[in-house]
Amino acid sequence: MATTPSITHGGALEAPPRRRVPWRTVVNKLLGAILVLWAAATLCFVMQELSPGNKAIAILGGSGARPTQHQIEVTEEKYGLNDPILQRYGSFIGDLATGDLGTSYQYKQPVTSLIKEQVGPTLVLVFVSTILAWLISVPVTLWTAGKGRARSSLGSGFEAFFAGVPPYWLGLVLLVVFSFELGWFPVTGGTSLDALFLPSLTLALPLAGFLGQVTRDEFERGLKQPFAISARTRGASEGEVRRKHVLRHALLPGITLTGWAIGATISGAVLVEVIYSRPGLGNVLVQAVSNQDLPVVVGITMLVALIYVLVNLMVDLLYVLVDPRLRTQKAVA
Amino acid sequence: MKSSLKTRLTALAAFAALAALTAVLSACGGSKSTAAAADTTSVVGVGAGAKKVEGTPVKGGTLVYGTDREPTCLDPHNFGDMPQTYVSRQYLDSLVSMQPDGTVVPWLATSWDISKDGLTYTFHLKKGVKFTDGTDFDADAVVANFKQILDPETESSTDLVYLDPIWKGAKAIDKYTVEIDLKRPYSPLLDVLGQAFFGMESPKAMARGIKENCVSPVGTGPFILKDWKKGQQIDLVRNDNYNSPPADANNQGPAYLEGITWRFLPDPSVRWQALKSGEVQAIFSIPPEDFAAAQSDPDIEVQQFTHAGIGHYIVLDDSEPPFNDIKVRQAFNYAANAPAAVESAYQGAYPVATSAVSSGTPFYTSKYANLYPHNLAKAEKLLDEAGWKKGANGVREKDGKPLTVKWIYSTGPGETPPAELTLYQNIQAAAKEAGFDVTLVPQPQAKYLEEANVPADFDAEPTYWNCPTPMCMYIVSSEETYNQLFANMSKIKNPELDQTLLAAAATTDRDKQKTLYAKAQQIIAENAYWVPTYPEQSLLGISKSLKGVWIEPSEGEPVFSDAWLES
Repeated sequence: MATTPSITHGGALEAPPRRRVPWRTVVNKLLGAILVLWAAATLCFVMQELSPGNKAIAILGGSGARPTQHQIEVTEEKYGLNDPILQRYGSFIGDLATGDLGTSYQYKQPVTSLIKEQVGPTLVLVFVSTILAWLISVPVTLWTAGKGRARSSLGSGFEAFFAGVPPYWLGLVLLVVFSFELGWFPVTGGTSLDALFLPSLTLALPLAGFLGQVTRDEFERGLKQPFAISARTRGASEGEVRRKHVLRHALLPGITLTGWAIGATISGAVLVEVIYSRPGLGNVLVQAVSNQDLPVVVGITMLVALIYVLVNLMVDLLYVLVDPRLRTQKAVA
Repeated sequence: MKSSLKTRLTALAAFAALAALTAVLSACGGSKSTAAAADTTSVVGVGAGAKKVEGTPVKGGTLVYGTDREPTCLDPHNFGDMPQTYVSRQYLDSLVSMQPDGTVVPWLATSWDISKDGLTYTFHLKKGVKFTDGTDFDADAVVANFKQILDPETESSTDLVYLDPIWKGAKAIDKYTVEIDLKRPYSPLLDVLGQAFFGMESPKAMARGIKENCVSPVGTGPFILKDWKKGQQIDLVRNDNYNSPPADANNQGPAYLEGITWRFLPDPSVRWQALKSGEVQAIFSIPPEDFAAAQSDPDIEVQQFTHAGIGHYIVLDDSEPPFNDIKVRQAFNYAANAPAAVESAYQGAYPVATSAVSSGTPFYTSKYANLYPHNLAKAEKLLDEAGWKKGANGVREKDGKPLTVKWIYSTGPGETPPAELTLYQNIQAAAKEAGFDVTLVPQPQAKYLEEANVPADFDAEPTYWNCPTPMCMYIVSSEETYNQLFANMSKIKNPELDQTLLAAAATTDRDKQKTLYAKAQQIIAENAYWVPTYPEQSLLGISKSLKGVWIEPSEGEPVFSDAWLES
């Protein structure tokens, strides 16, 4: 377990499992993913049913509207709100299966086209934030982990602080300091490139804190592991040991966490998009929730569920790439 | 129309505290933001209408305008929320243009005749006007517009509230004459039609259905809707062929501006900073905490507009105890000290209201304003008379029941900003001294909609209603609208009030209207049906480089077709 495969098993055992695609595992994972999505959809439907308030009123504008009784009746008929529950569940799941998420109560547009419009800026934000988080946390770990008490506590202090900072607070502080006071970045945000930095940083810093904490633990443990010691005895420099051996080992939990983090970052994007007046799913979701635009809420929930599922699939695969031990074990299993 | 005109955080409720924190931080950072307004101003009934402006207009440039809320549909016939009317004004023209005194001047209609019985309105239309998709503007187009408004598929709310009770039909008499027939006389019709909510749209565009029309409506207006990037902005470009401005516009040709970037900046402090940094040249709704700073800033012009309508008020459920007793209602008004509550909550940025309609409303009279100045002794006396006796811990009781008031309010994002909640708490504390046990009950939007519904499950509830005519007293108080959602929320049944208002609608004689609308204001004030708080305000912050902006009076829509940017 502790030493490199070439010593225990010899070169011959290593090569074949690396190229074999574990089809059964893939199929199982896919079936599992579909099951998770179906469960999410059903939960969404139940939530929709249990949410209070008259849906026809929400469609006609909520508390801002003064609908007539006739209008309410016409609307209930048009949106099938009075159909039996099983019929509505059936058509909901059926529509979902064909990629139809229904029509937004507020915008009168198909939910899929709303999501298509808005998903881009959110994905860019989430993607850039995640990369930025890694770009921050890896150097901090490399420079501070296992480098004496002072440096180490500086690093973990940084991580603990940012891991604990709520993104909305951080967002406001960054906005006030760098946009309002220093004027380095635009106040009005939007999708321009210079308006991407502060929102990304807002999401990246807390994430970097989280990733750093986990990576540091693993890194410090790794430094004492036999594989690190054996690398040192082979004459590798300390920097080389840290970068090539220990870091690689220490990244694993962080990568797992990234799968979760991407999902969490999407939720964080809700707040950040509002603070920085950025278009995106977060902004749409806030509007939808407040106006009881259930099809949009459900649509975005399903999308986030889908992203979670896909990212977790990817993480499983990444695992196999980063950790050679898993390749062997999977092939054997 | 109910709307968010106050400064509202569209973010989550948690932002409230953080915004305060931002203010503190920016103060630490040496910014000029001022804590409290020094001395203000009860601005009354001013702010609207085209004004002659000094200087020579310059052609060109794109205005960036920062506003708070984003419309859900750009066709204002659908739903009918304030953000829709503001932006529609830029690309739609209406039949007439309302003046601050409640009269109208020609716009797409050059003249009109009203039959003696007040049931038939004949409009003579401007010739040679085209929608920006090339369709002719004519009588058929006007008829098609009313047809679309009344079609349930359009899901109209605001327009329908006006038309549904009075509408009989519209027909084209010839190519440029259109006749509107009513079920009963309705003299405020012209004011109502002046709102951008009744802007005229291309029949060809409307025929595509509401789904298409919500994202790309087509009008005859000074600007053309080019693109809507949801969550960010609407792009408007100049209509170079514009030939149908209202008679009261300074500029009778195409707009000077090349276009408008209509930016959505829901956070008030972001909006204000964007104006100060020059990223935008005009903003809607200056935050109350920055109002004094805006007024003293030499680079910023402040335009304050008082909306016509009922204004902001606290609905009392007049159909059930305790507020079904006029003495209890009057006592609550005496005890509430609403003017002081508004002053302290909005730091002087908002004027106070003490009358049935806002001071910006045509036929407003100050005669029945301020009937209930703060007077604890009178409140106590009225409650004693009504049989509510002081009990333990100061709460009054009658037949063993405490004098509790369930006051609900919505916690939907942006619905109840911090200053608004302070206002409620101020009234709560003041009413307690007279023996009212007011409980403020925050409700998530969905729950709120349910409880504010018929039958209502509340004793008190804040709301507001902007409209260009005092006739909307009828909407919020008549037997006809008693069961209509969010209309007669106070559950008022008063035949004398109904008849007075219907008589006002039946006459086009302005003197008679004046008397009758005054009488209606008197009835409502004397019965203390609700607690008036403040008139709805629109506060525009305008950079000195932007000239010629004015606010039209029907709904407070900013008019940019007369505006230009100085280089």
